[in-house]
Parts: sequence; structure tokens; C-alpha cells
Amino acid sequence: MNKKARFAFAAAVIATALGIAAPAARADETCLSPYTTSLIKGQEAYLHVWTLGEKGLGDESDKLVTIDADPKSKTYGKVISSVSVGGRGEAHHEGFTDDRKYLWAGRLDDSKIFVFDVGTDPAHPNLVNTITDLTEKTGFVGPHTFYAIPGRIVIGTLSNNKTHDGVTGIAVYSNKGEFLSAHPIPTDNGGDGYGYDIAINPQKNVFLTSSFTGWTNYETDLGKLVKDPEAMKHFGNTLVLWNLKSFQPEKIFSVPGAPLEIRWSLKEGDDWAITASALTSKLWLVSHDANNEWQAKEVGTIGDPAKIPLPVDISISADGTRLWVNTFTDGTTHLFDISDPTKPVQIYEKVTGKQVNMISQSWDGKRVYITSSLLQHWDKTGADNEQVLRAYNWDGKELTLAFEIDFFKEKLGRPHHIKFSGATDKASLDIPGRAASR
Amino acid sequence: MRMRASVFGALCMSFAAWSGFVMASPYAAAEPGAGLALPAPGSYTLDHIQQVPFGIVLDGNRFPRMLSRYTSGKITLLSFFYSICADPRGCPLAWDAFEQVRKAILTHPELYGRVRLVFLSLDPEHDTPVMLKTFTRSYEASAAIVPWYFLTTYSYLFLNPVIRNMGEEISIDREASSTDRLVLNHLLKVFLIDYRGWVREIYSNQSLDPAAILGDIKTLAIEATNGDDQRR
Repeated sequence: MNKKARFAFAAAVIATALGIAAPAARADETCLSPYTTSLIKGQEAYLHVWTLGEKGLGDESDKLVTIDADPKSKTYGKVISSVSVGGRGEAHHEGFTDDRKYLWAGRLDDSKIFVFDVGTDPAHPNLVNTITDLTEKTGFVGPHTFYAIPGRIVIGTLSNNKTHDGVTGIAVYSNKGEFLSAHPIPTDNGGDGYGYDIAINPQKNVFLTSSFTGWTNYETDLGKLVKDPEAMKHFGNTLVLWNLKSFQPEKIFSVPGAPLEIRWSLKEGDDWAITASALTSKLWLVSHDANNEWQAKEVGTIGDPAKIPLPVDISISADGTRLWVNTFTDGTTHLFDISDPTKPVQIYEKVTGKQVNMISQSWDGKRVYITSSLLQHWDKTGADNEQVLRAYNWDGKELTLAFEIDFFKEKLGRPHHIKFSGATDKASLDIPGRAASR
Repeated sequence: MRMRASVFGALCMSFAAWSGFVMASPYAAAEPGAGLALPAPGSYTLDHIQQVPFGIVLDGNRFPRMLSRYTSGKITLLSFFYSICADPRGCPLAWDAFEQVRKAILTHPELYGRVRLVFLSLDPEHDTPVMLKTFTRSYEASAAIVPWYFLTTYSYLFLNPVIRNMGEEISIDREASSTDRLVLNHLLKVFLIDYRGWVREIYSNQSLDPAAILGDIKTLAIEATNGDDQRR
């Protein structure tokens, strides 16, 4: 060890002491847990698309499809690998572990969770574990959100195995796949007990959960469901503010109409989160007032609520000034200026499909990806049931199609959630102690 | 070599001490204002995340010791580090947090003798037992109250299974490394371990808040005093 190296560490200690370390990014491309490492701030190399199997199509199985997203690659815009997990169980969302080495993906019907190794070779993920004890351990059904905290995954669920309505909770598993604890969503003090998304703000020691609907509703044909007034009563109407350290609910906000995805602003110093309510087509802001009391407030409208456009996924820009919103029913992608989050203003919209659900943007905001499938019984039918992934370039004014993949033509199924991986750097796999590693 | 290490250790100590007294916290953790207050120690529970794996480590000489000797019987705060780590979001951040926790324990007599601090080197080729002993000596004055161990291993053959089982991934940053300076990519993780050797909390650079760590330590101390940790 030389003198120069020693002083490098000493200098780093000084830098830490002075508080001049690089600012911590709260999230990643741009909607992941703030604990997730290895931000992809440049060009993403791969898209991992968690895909519902389709009866009569290909192997009919749910699968993780990986697509080459690097424009410089010979296989750009092509499917380069697919890992089938067996059976169909309503594949839905996925999420990385904190080290970004593993991708957890859940099924809403049979509550199975599949763990893929995406760190060793992100071009070719490998199924390494299947977790089947969620319901047995917790009574919860429908693992939806997979949110990394150090060494663990927090899972937001949608239902339960007794009433199959939306009363549910949060489960915590170790990265090794072992169940650790269960935390019911409150049903008292104005709580409806429903669950959906999770979003953590470590700096404020808080996290938020939103509320959707239970197994009975999400496994019922949408056309039939909307004609059933009793069933339509069983949607979530709350956001819950939790104490992150104690995992105890602190405050319940009334947010009518199934608030779904929650995004904290990524801008350093911002302390607000935004969500969209699916049935009422509204944007809601969660922030604290002058008395440091957290509040939820309706701040905007998405499309024409009378037409039930059904806002589903949202994606916030890294600088906290833009919000993409997909509305499923009219197949439209909207862009809101949220520079003033109390007054969102729509500045762009484009029909991007016959039905659109998930939306993900790159950290630099220059690329936007959308998929079509919402739920197997809620997707449109006939000619409107297109099942695609579309990649767009965004120049600040117009979305331009870069490539698209027809998942039905490719005999893959229905594409749902999208996550990114970076290029494999051989050096990053160079583990000390292996032959010729030094 | 010993003199250089000693000088270096003294430098680190003084800077860390200085940071604790003078500077604002560099941690991206709970802030005042609208942030929710940390819960009272003992009012919440910490999950049993995993058991510390088997391992052989070295402490000051080449005599092999069980890792469990340093991860059970007391409440343990453990971090991986390497002495030439220069990433301000990595080892130095952990060092500063450990220093602040150590100072806080010195002001809490109810925790005297119940907590240990452990740094385990990720670089056994450079961080020899003799060199690390210098760091340990730097904290001998408070060792009876809160000892701080600087451990290493014989080689990566011994180290790799431990870090892999603890969920810590490392790799060589070849671009940043040079012949006399190894740079390791690793995710900062600090492990809080209970009397029985169970990891009960893991902190990253997003959550490495000395106040939260101290609250968790007190929670484990209360749990042990009350005999509440019987479920494992």
C-alpha cells in the first residue's frame, strides 16, 4: 500500500466529513426503489418484459422476455432470450433486488414469485428460485409490487385468501427468498385495507401505499365487472402513509377511485409524491403543509373522466418536472408538466396503441417504452387486443417510434411490466480471488 | 509500514472525530421537518433477516478465529471495508457512521459492554492482520466499553463465501485500479447483528443514519434484557 493510496482514503474521509460526497439519487430509471444500485444513466442495453402466457400461443407459459435495446447492436429491437416459468398465473409486475443482481416477478392469480438472475448475464436471465409460500405465510394473495430495501424485498399485495376482496397487506422477504414478516394494511381509522403500490422516501422515514381491488374483481371480465354496481364498490379509496422504521401506518388519506402507481419526485430537496386514480382519472399530490403535516390533494385531471380513460401506469422524469401517463381505454400516452406539482398541465398526448398500460422512460428522458396488457380479463378483445411493446424516442416535442415487437406474432403472449439492464461489463464480473483476477 | 499505518489511522480518526463534532451529517437519512420521527427503541421489532454464515477470520495475527466469535454474544455492527477504499459513498461513509455510533454509545452507560463494532476487510492481500492491528489499537482506550475490531482473512478463498452469504457483491474496477491501488466495486452495506448472530437490520448509504442505528441497537438491547428474542 503506498502513501498516495492511503491519502486517497483520508481524502475520501474528509470529503465525507465535509458532506461533499456525490448526492444520493433517490431512484433509478426513474421509478425504482431508491435503494437500487447501478443506475443506468446512459443507454439501457436490455429490456426485461414480464409476459403473460396466452392459451394456444407458443408454449402458452408466462415468461420473462429480454429485448436488445442498444441501437448500436446488431440485434437491436429484437427478442434475444425468453425464459418460460411454466403455466399461466397472471404475470404482472417485477422488481430488482437492491444489488440489481436479481429480478423478482409475481403472478396475481396463483401468487407465485419467480426470481431471475439478471446480474450474471442480463442478456440471458436465468430462473434461480420460485417462491410459493406467500399465501401460506401471510394469507395475502396477488403479489404486485416488488420494492427493494437493503437485503430484502418488500412486496405489496392485492388480496387475501379468505374473502378475495382487496383487504391485504405487505410482506417482507429476504433477498434469499425467505419470508420475514407481514404487515396488514389498516382497516380502521378510515382505512379500507386495500393495497397496490409501495414508494419509499428514506430521507423522511416514510413510505406510501396505494389501493386497487381484490382477486375477485381483477380476475373478472372487465365488461361484466363495470355492469356490476356491487363489485364496483370494491375498489380502493385510500393512500396510507407509513413510518418506514417501524412499518406502522401513521396517516390515511381519502383518495377515491383506486389510486395506483406512486412516484416520489427525484429532484434533490423535493418532498412530494404523485399518483393517479384509475377510476376517477385524477392526479393526486402527497406533500406536507407549512405545519409539516402530510396531506393528499387532488391537483389535476387526466383526459375526460366521464369516458373512464383509466389511467394506469405513470413515469416521472429524473428532474421531477415531467410525468408520462398511459390511459388504457383510449390507448393514449399523455405528458404532463409538473414543474409546479400543485398545478399539473398536460403538454402533449399521442395515441400509442389500441390499449396501453405500462410506461417506462430512460434516466435521460430520451427514450420511452410502452406495453399493452393490463390484466388477462381486462384486456380488450378481438382486433383491439393488440399485444405489443413499442419503443419511442422523445425529442422534447414528439414521440417517434424506434421499434415495436408484436408479442402475439412472436408467439410470446401479453407484455406487461418492463425493467432495464445495462450492458455486461466483463470487468464487473471479475471477482477477486478468481484465477488471474489481480 | 507500521508507522505509515499508524499515521494513517490517526488521520482517519481525527478526521472522523472532527466530522462528528463540526460538520453536518453527510447521510441521506431521516431529516427533520416533515420527516416522521424515529420510533422509540423497543416499540418496534426488527426482522430476523439471516444468520451470519460460518467463516474463518484473522484478528491481529495469523491465528485462525471463528467469525462467530465477533458476531454473537453482543450486539454487533459489522461492515465490509478495505483500507485504501477512496469512494466517499463507500467505506469512509461507513467509518464515519461507526465513529458516530461509537461516540454515542460512550454516552449511554446502559450499553457499555453490550455492543461491538467490526470492520472485515475485502482486501486480504493488502490488509494484513498486522497492518489492521494498528487500527484496532487506535480504539483500545474505549475497548472495554465498545470494542472495534478490524478483521481480515487468509485470502479470497476464505473471504468470498462469507461475503456471498452475507449478500455483499464485490468486483474489481479494472479501469480505476492501478498497480499500487486496488479499486473494488461494492455496495455499501452495514449489518446490525443480535446476540444470537442474526442479522436484524441492513443499512445502505440511503439509510446509514447513526440515530436510527442507535435506536435499533437499543431495541435489540431491550429485547435481550426482556428475553423477547425466543422465536429463533
